[in-house]
Amino acid sequence: MQEHTQLTQRQINEDLLDTVLSTPRWWLPATLVAILVFLIGASAFGYMLNKGVGVTGLNRPVFWGFFMVNFVFWIGISHAGIMISAILRLTQAEWRRPVTRAAEVMTVFSLMSALMAAPLVHVGRPWRADLWVFPYDFARGIWVNIRSPFIWDPSAVMTYLTASTLFVLVCLIPDLAVIRDRTKGWVRAIYSILSLGFRGTPRQWKLQTVAGILLSALVLPVFVSVHSIVSWDFAAQIGPEAWHSTIFAPYFIIGAIHSGVSAVATLMVIMMWVFKWDKYITRDHLDSIARLLIIVATTWFFFFFLEWVFALYTLEDPEIAMRDLQVFQWPWSGMFIVFLITAYFFPVPMWLFKKVRRSLFWMFVTTIAVNIGMWLERFLIIVPGLMRRGHFIFDWGSYHPSIIEILMVAATFAWVILGMLLFTKVFPLIPLFDVKEGMVFRDEIKIGRRTIPASIRE
Amino acid sequence: MVDSRDAVQKYLIGRHLEPRGSRFFIVSIILSVLTIAGIVGFVLRFQDGFGQGDLWGYYVALFAFIFAAAGGAPMVAISTRIAKAHWPRSISRISELFSIVSLFGIILFIPMIWILPDMEDGRRTLWFFGKLNVPSNLPHILTTLGLVSLVLTGLFILWLSLMPDIRFLRDMSNTKKGSWLYNLSAGWIGSSRQWFMQRHRIGILGAFYFMTLIFVHFLIAVDFSMTLVPGWIDALYPVTQAHNSLQVGVATVVLTMFAVRYFGHYQDYLTIDQFRGLGKLMFALSLLWFWFWFSSFIVLWYGAKPSEKSVLELLMTGPYIWVFIAAFVLLFVVPLFTMIWNPLRRSIWGPTIIAGCVFIGAILDKIRIYVASYSVIDQAGLHEIEHVPSTIWPGFADILIWIGGLAGCVLVYMLATRILPVINIWEQKELKLYQVHKKFHRIEVQVLGKPE
Repeated sequence: MQEHTQLTQRQINEDLLDTVLSTPRWWLPATLVAILVFLIGASAFGYMLNKGVGVTGLNRPVFWGFFMVNFVFWIGISHAGIMISAILRLTQAEWRRPVTRAAEVMTVFSLMSALMAAPLVHVGRPWRADLWVFPYDFARGIWVNIRSPFIWDPSAVMTYLTASTLFVLVCLIPDLAVIRDRTKGWVRAIYSILSLGFRGTPRQWKLQTVAGILLSALVLPVFVSVHSIVSWDFAAQIGPEAWHSTIFAPYFIIGAIHSGVSAVATLMVIMMWVFKWDKYITRDHLDSIARLLIIVATTWFFFFFLEWVFALYTLEDPEIAMRDLQVFQWPWSGMFIVFLITAYFFPVPMWLFKKVRRSLFWMFVTTIAVNIGMWLERFLIIVPGLMRRGHFIFDWGSYHPSIIEILMVAATFAWVILGMLLFTKVFPLIPLFDVKEGMVFRDEIKIGRRTIPASIRE
Repeated sequence: MVDSRDAVQKYLIGRHLEPRGSRFFIVSIILSVLTIAGIVGFVLRFQDGFGQGDLWGYYVALFAFIFAAAGGAPMVAISTRIAKAHWPRSISRISELFSIVSLFGIILFIPMIWILPDMEDGRRTLWFFGKLNVPSNLPHILTTLGLVSLVLTGLFILWLSLMPDIRFLRDMSNTKKGSWLYNLSAGWIGSSRQWFMQRHRIGILGAFYFMTLIFVHFLIAVDFSMTLVPGWIDALYPVTQAHNSLQVGVATVVLTMFAVRYFGHYQDYLTIDQFRGLGKLMFALSLLWFWFWFSSFIVLWYGAKPSEKSVLELLMTGPYIWVFIAAFVLLFVVPLFTMIWNPLRRSIWGPTIIAGCVFIGAILDKIRIYVASYSVIDQAGLHEIEHVPSTIWPGFADILIWIGGLAGCVLVYMLATRILPVINIWEQKELKLYQVHKKFHRIEVQVLGKPE
């Protein structure tokens, strides 16, 4: 970190609590638009409940369409929070400090979106979704199969949601105490309850730090298990031949990190634009996250390469037919090219340039491109995978999403945006205590005529 | 512990130039004898010719293990340098010196060119043999090129990192112009431009080394084991092998650190910090090993196609079940339940013992994979294994080859430390620039500079 602005604690409080203690002019219209889109999507869902899943574009053999694509996409985005927060916390990366909370909160809301996208909407009979959690007719062996990844899925996602929410709450406690001390009346009463009597005693700080580290370590296996299990929803099947690959778990995880960290970078740029927090989130932070993204994206591309190579290695007709569909048959071929360009060949060469890594505009464009590409990647795995252009043409099928599905997908995006907007109104989006701690640990040392940044270590 | 930069340089060069004791000499003789025994073992095995692949399984496993350990060890220096961490400065040379051991690995690889059958035997390969106009020995050519590139890159990184130290050595030992030491320092005078170039070259070559390592593991994993077993289709297997190389590489560096600390008396430089840091890394890599293994296993087990069932039987539940269980315990269970414990991680003996377990676990893992793969004979054109071959036990020649191979590696490393400083001198001097101790409220703290 070369950009070094030493700020006082008072200034940090004033800057970062501004969104909580006052309301920006744009906030209400933005929130209303998000609510409107969400309600339209919810109405579409109601319509589907009333008429049945026939109103979607799902058919035989393409039983999974936009809903499943969206589910995998949001699970992927949710991996950003833990990647940024837990891993960077455990490795003591200093640049993580201002971005951890936004990433964690995005995890929580995107997980909710994922739950909306698949278990709630996709099952067709959402009123029976609880049977995943409480399989009452287990003994008869006719309903749920405990050995199926479909049963592990809700448990893993719910565990991840619980752990992520707990993570956000534990890290919020010191900041809630700061807000409590700056509010009055019933608002103060609520923040008093939420801050759990935090007074900043040495023992409380110690417990808070230990809890943060422990949660970071414990949530990591959950983070890995969630997307692994999502990948096994696909890979454990031998029906759609192209899905039956051992590489799916790490391929999905690294893809999720690629997509999620890009989303965090997009969020950072938006925070710099909208809240003018450039004293906290600097171009150095963008530079660091872009460097991280180069490594993540290239690893993802290697796994993509392996997935393809071993698909061709099988020399099995259905597998080759599916690859042919992806690469040579319109419209999938067009999507495939867009996917490759937006997910890798456009952003990664761009990030090699320092000017791009430090540019708000280009980082916004490239990271949005990554997520367009990654959404298409999931689409290209799921839909052509199910179309099964095998020997028997009676089994062929295609897929066109209906307006109902499109509206419900839009609603999941609106939900995440709405969640983030509401959060910024109630809680600080940059962790005050973490930034303050960073300021305390920050130092400089002189080497010859140069002064270089340093940090204090016990 | 010496304080000033000049004192550090003087101390470390002094330590390096000290004459080695008789113990060093005796151990070198013993290792030489064992290496010769290995050569005898090779000659005994060679009498059967290269035609019978099942006889060479243990030899291939030895190569795979040495390549994994020696190829993975330099990644400790490369990765921690990229992360700009300060604690690994004293272990960077220890890990880079393994590039010299990789040279020994290349010698071991030469017979494998004959052991691996060419693609005309009808087995399924990655190279579209018969469909595209590729030579039938393409795997042999590609692996040789990849391996040589990897070793040369490793040696080049070692040389770049050695330049400033050789200059110090040259100055202190009054080396004359024209001597090998003089030439090896390549006119190093420590100008700003030279430092700048050195840092960037090491960074770029480090990235290239990592990519080549992955590529060579991909080739060896696929061509030297997977394609020999009909029906074995596991896209994750090359990654698992590359990861295992990093795991055993870290374990090897920990074991070497321990030896250098005790026998080389570098207690001031190889402290608990270094053991703890690598202990954490070893813990993380063990968890990753499990995840990679389980990701492969569950898909094959769940799929339960006849081809997948027989592959699982061959590699895990059949003739090598006990080897697999032992490898599983040593590579995952033991590191998980020990390295999770902070006091053990924060010790010298803890990470060392666990590194020993990982080291043995990796040997067993290579044996169960490569011996099993090479035991499948006369089934090349099939889509799945017709009958799972029974266990192949090591013969006398195999035992000699293994002992000789491992002894040869240790000998090469020991001789390298005789010539080149085992602790990186310029990195220790640089640390003195970036490290300041000062008072922070009532406690003494360390302030560490992070340029750029």
